[in-house]
Formats: sequence, C-alpha cells, structure tokens
Amino acid sequence: MLALDLLVNGLIYGCFYALMAVGLAMIFGVLKIVNFAHGEFFMIGAYTYVLISLKLGVSPWLALPAAALAGALLGWLVERLLMRPLYQGYASWGFMKDEYAVVVTFGLSLLLINLVDKTVGPYSFQGPPLVDIGRFPLGPVMLTGQKAIAALVAVALMVALALFIKRSVWGLQIQAVAQNRLGASLAGIDSTRTTSLIFVVSGVLAALSGALLAPLVNPSPDVGTFPAIKSYVIVVLGGMGSIWGAMIAALILGVSEAFFSVYVSYDYRDAFGLIILIAVLLLRPEGLLGEKGRTV
Amino acid sequence: MTSGGIRALLALAAAASLATPALAADPIVVGVSLTQSPPGSVVQGTQVKDGMEILKDIVNAKGGVLGRQIKLLYEDNQGIPEKGRAAVEKLISSDKVIALAGGHQSSVCLAEIEVAHRMKVPYVNTNCWSDDVRKRGYPEVFNTSPYNTLVSSSMASTLATMGVKRVVAFAENTDYGIGQAKLTGEILKQKAPQIEYKYETLDRTSKDFTAALLPLRANPPDVIVLSMLPPAAYLVMNQVYEQGLAPTKKTLLYDGGGLADYPDFWQNVKQAGQYLLSFALYHPQMKQTPLATQIAAEYKKRTGNDINRLVLQAADSLELVIQAVQTAKSTEPDKLITAMKTMKFDSIRGISNFSTEPGYSFQQWLDIPYVNYELTAERQPIAQTVLIQAPGQKFDPSKIVRPAK
Repeated sequence: MLALDLLVNGLIYGCFYALMAVGLAMIFGVLKIVNFAHGEFFMIGAYTYVLISLKLGVSPWLALPAAALAGALLGWLVERLLMRPLYQGYASWGFMKDEYAVVVTFGLSLLLINLVDKTVGPYSFQGPPLVDIGRFPLGPVMLTGQKAIAALVAVALMVALALFIKRSVWGLQIQAVAQNRLGASLAGIDSTRTTSLIFVVSGVLAALSGALLAPLVNPSPDVGTFPAIKSYVIVVLGGMGSIWGAMIAALILGVSEAFFSVYVSYDYRDAFGLIILIAVLLLRPEGLLGEKGRTV
Repeated sequence: MTSGGIRALLALAAAASLATPALAADPIVVGVSLTQSPPGSVVQGTQVKDGMEILKDIVNAKGGVLGRQIKLLYEDNQGIPEKGRAAVEKLISSDKVIALAGGHQSSVCLAEIEVAHRMKVPYVNTNCWSDDVRKRGYPEVFNTSPYNTLVSSSMASTLATMGVKRVVAFAENTDYGIGQAKLTGEILKQKAPQIEYKYETLDRTSKDFTAALLPLRANPPDVIVLSMLPPAAYLVMNQVYEQGLAPTKKTLLYDGGGLADYPDFWQNVKQAGQYLLSFALYHPQMKQTPLATQIAAEYKKRTGNDINRLVLQAADSLELVIQAVQTAKSTEPDKLITAMKTMKFDSIRGISNFSTEPGYSFQQWLDIPYVNYELTAERQPIAQTVLIQAPGQKFDPSKIVRPAK
C-alpha cells in the first residue's frame, strides 16, 4: 500500500515538475542558454493567482488564465528586452553569449524576488483551491481535491503542448528553429518571432505550474527556487533541449524521489536529484533523449 | 611662541569648543543584523525590525538616552551565516556601533557572535534558540531570547503529563530544529523513558513532505511534534492534515515554535490549524508591563496585527542596550558589558538578571514565562484559545479538546 501511495504521489509531483521543466527545455533547445529566472516565472504565476483570487475575490478558475497571461507577458518582455541581444545584430557589443545569459537571467531572478518581497511583502499565502473538495481516499491513496484537479490540468496542458508542438504551424516553426536557426531563417521562418513565442509559451507553462501549485506550496517571494532546481535536473536528465525527454525525466524524478526518501533517506531527498544530475553528466551527458551532437 | 602659532592654537580651541556639543548630540548607534530578503526568514526579520523601531521611536520621543537620540543601523544578512558575519564586521568596524541586537536565526547568530567576541562588542541575542549560542561562553553575548533547553524541557514535561506512548517529531534542518528535537528526546529519556520517541529531519526549503509522512499512516503516533518555522512548518501542517494523520481523535499535533503567533498563520493553514497544541511565549493573559502594552498598541496601529512574542523580544533586546547605556553612563562597549552583567534589568517582559552558570544558561534569562494553549477553532485569535497551561501553572491534559474522529 505504501508503495502505491508513493507511486501516485510521485507521479503527481512529476506532472508538476514536467510543466515547469518543459519551458526551460524549450528555451535551451532554441537559444542554448539556461534561464536562471525560470523559477521566478513560476513565482509570478503563483502570486498572480493568489492575489487575484484572494484580494479581488475573483474565481480561482478565472485567476488561472490571469496567471497564464502574466507568465506570457513576462516571457515576452524578457525575450524582447533582455534576450534579443543574444541573436540579433548586437555583435558589435563584443560580449560573450553564455556569460551574458547567466548574468542577465540571474540578475533578473534576484530582481523579481526582491521586487515581490518589497511590494507584496514577505508573508506567504495559501492560494484558494480550484475545487472545494477536501481530502478523500482513492482506494488506498489519500488525495485532496486540489491535488487531483491540479494534476489533471497539468496532464491536459502537457497533452495540449505536445499537440501544439507536433501539429501546429507554430510548433513546427519552433522545431525548425531549435534544429537550425539559420536554416529555418533561410526557409522563410521568422526566427525572432519564433523565439519570442518560445519565451511566451515557457512563461505560460511555468506560471500555470505556479498557479496550480499555489494552494499546495503557499507562495512566498522565493517560492521559485525549489521548482527551478528540480527543472535544471530534469532538463539535463531528459536531454538538454528535449521536450519529450523533459516530460519523461520529470515523471522519473518525481517517482524516484518519493521512493528514495522512504526507502533510503528523507534527509537526502533533494540531494538525490543532484546525484542523478552528476551521474547523467558522467555516464550519459546527452541525457535520456538528447542528441550527442549535430553538424550541419 | 609666534603669533602664527598662537592663532593656530586659538583656532584649534575654538574648533574643539564647537565640536564638543555636536558630539554630545550625535545619535547613539546600535547595529542590527537581520533578514530582510530571502532565503532567510524575512517574516521574522520584519517583526524584529518592527519591534525595535517602535521602541526606538518611543524612547526618542521622550528625549532619547543621556540626551542623545537612538539610531538603528540595519544590515540585511539574508539568513546566511557568512553574510551575518560580514554584516557584523561592517557594523562594528566601519559604522562604529556601540552594540548589536536583533539576531533571530541560530545559525546566523552562531557566526555573528564570533565577530562580536573577537571585537569585544556587546551582542544581544533576540531570538536565537540554539543552546550553542550560550554554550560558547562569550562574555559579550547576552540572551534575552528563549532557548532550546527551556522549550524542550517544557515539551517533554507536557508529553509525559499527557501519558502518550509514541511520539514522532519533525525538525527542520537547522541548529534550532535539530537542537530542539534532539534535546526533547534526551529529556524524555529521563522524564518518561516509556515513551517511544523519534525525530525526522526535514529540509526547510522543500515544499513537498508527503513522502516523509506516508510511512506514518499505517501506524499513526499519539503526538506529532513540530520543531519547525514558517513557511515550511505551515506546509507540513497542511500535508499532515491532508494525509489524515493529525489532528485526529488519536493523534495531536504539537508545535514547539509558537507558530500561531505569526501574523500569516491562518492565511496559510486554515483547517489544518484547528486543534493545534502549541507551546508559546506570549498570551494576552500573561502579565504585561505598561511599556509592553504601549508597544502592543503601537504595533496594532502600524501593522494592523495583534502583538506577538517576537516583536516584544526585539524591543526587549534594544531595551537592554538602552538600560546598559543609562547604567554605565557611557557608550563604551566594555562598560556596557559590565553594566549588562551587573545591573538589574527592568525589562518589557519582566527579566531581572542573567544567569552566570556556564552551559546553556550562560548569560541567559532563565525564567522566561510561557504557556501551552490549543487552537480549538479555525481562525481563532490567540486571546480565545484554550489555555492548557497558564503562565506559572501546571499543564492540565483534561482541558485538551480532540476532534470527533
């Protein structure tokens, strides 16, 4: 029974991790940079959801799209104002791309955390649940309405994202730019607009993840740190830049963490993810579904 | 002496005569190292700052100390020991503060007192509970803060009086959390060896504790003890509730950190807070001094929140510095240390003097008043909680209210 409990709980958290990590994987896939402010996209989504629903008395179901909108806006602004120098006509600046990305996104992360701390305050809030169903047993597993519905919404979003990437024109454009930016441009794809779209989608996913988890993790200004660290592990485990790899890796991490904490040691639960990270980097640096390299 | 030399001497004398009154009017600067930004507890830092600001304003409005205004100089340590150490170094060396106060996270205090000790500047511990802060025996460190031995002894006595058989404690992975959980176990071994006790360490930055709770579902303990601080403590409470572990007819949740005192308690726990049994250092039924009442009213006016123990502790640590300056009639650190050691401290919460016994009691106010109460309804104000142990009274388990199932 305990094993089933752990499996279900691990899968649920795996879904949340996936929602968060996929956006990070998409950005890496296209720009080959790590967005260190990704956790703060999560935080902005969580705060938008909580503040709109608690302070304005709006239904949580309406606060959810508002959080997505906030994530989209933040993603768009970050790309437009901070990321564009990485790939568009700023060669005369003479900066180094990787260092620029690290410094800018890390700085943005600190700025957003402190901005929320000073404007909203340091106190945490429990977001209102999407459904008014408290705890209930599902066979031997104890769930809450919020946890169940949030997991279902997360799965629905992942399926929608998969369809979007696989079937839509925009999704195909994203795949093309991720494979070869110059080649995609030569084929008539507006790679700048596509990059902007990737940041918007990434922002939406992280913000929705924050909103769905707001009733479970009680957002405070530094709430994004925890999912961001998990996301970095997942992106490496899944294969840098691989969306499908990130989804699978998130579920693996969620479940294996749950089992590790009970059967090995709870104290080292979060270290477990980092052990996986080191092992992957040593034994299979390309990750589960990543590519060893590509020459064009 | 030439006429030029005489003129220079006269000019120096004039400058000195002008400078003396200016120096006398200079503010007395007290250094405060606290958490104002994550990852440390900004919630605690905010309350510490509130308490000290209120007292400073009250004192300054009455003319200050020795005719000088009090000025508080803040440094943000982010709850990181290394930053606390650097902050204290700067406050002493560069800002020339006469004393330090406001420390509120044990691991940071432990780093900061090393600097205060080396530079021989008084350090008033506001809220660092770890016994290790006292055990180092530094003559510069004075503790108006509660301490783990007090809390753990009280909790162990409570558990023994309740007649429970099995207790599981969840402790955050800090000097405070692990220290308190370990100590409770050691004291229980002496007071009630028949009680089966174990503790589990939880990462305070984590958000999901379910995996640590699930193994308890098969055989829930009689009491789950929390040695944790917000926000992690709130998450554990919610997840314990979601899993149906506590509060139940069989299992109670017992908090060793005065969680219900925090202004954001009810906005974070909701139903999970009902039936919480809490060790606490403040309750409206405790005897309040006029200054404490004044601070409480001002705190309500400024923040809209009811007074809590941390705001009073913060004010008290500044009050100790102020009274030491008055007693010593000086702002020299060594004279302040002597004054703090020897004077009778007429504090906001009723402190008389500090113990000189080595160990956990070194330069500690030992007889800090405390209570045990139970929150019997959701969103219940502290004043309406059920007092299971009134100040100075025995714990009465017959007053405990349990859920129907």
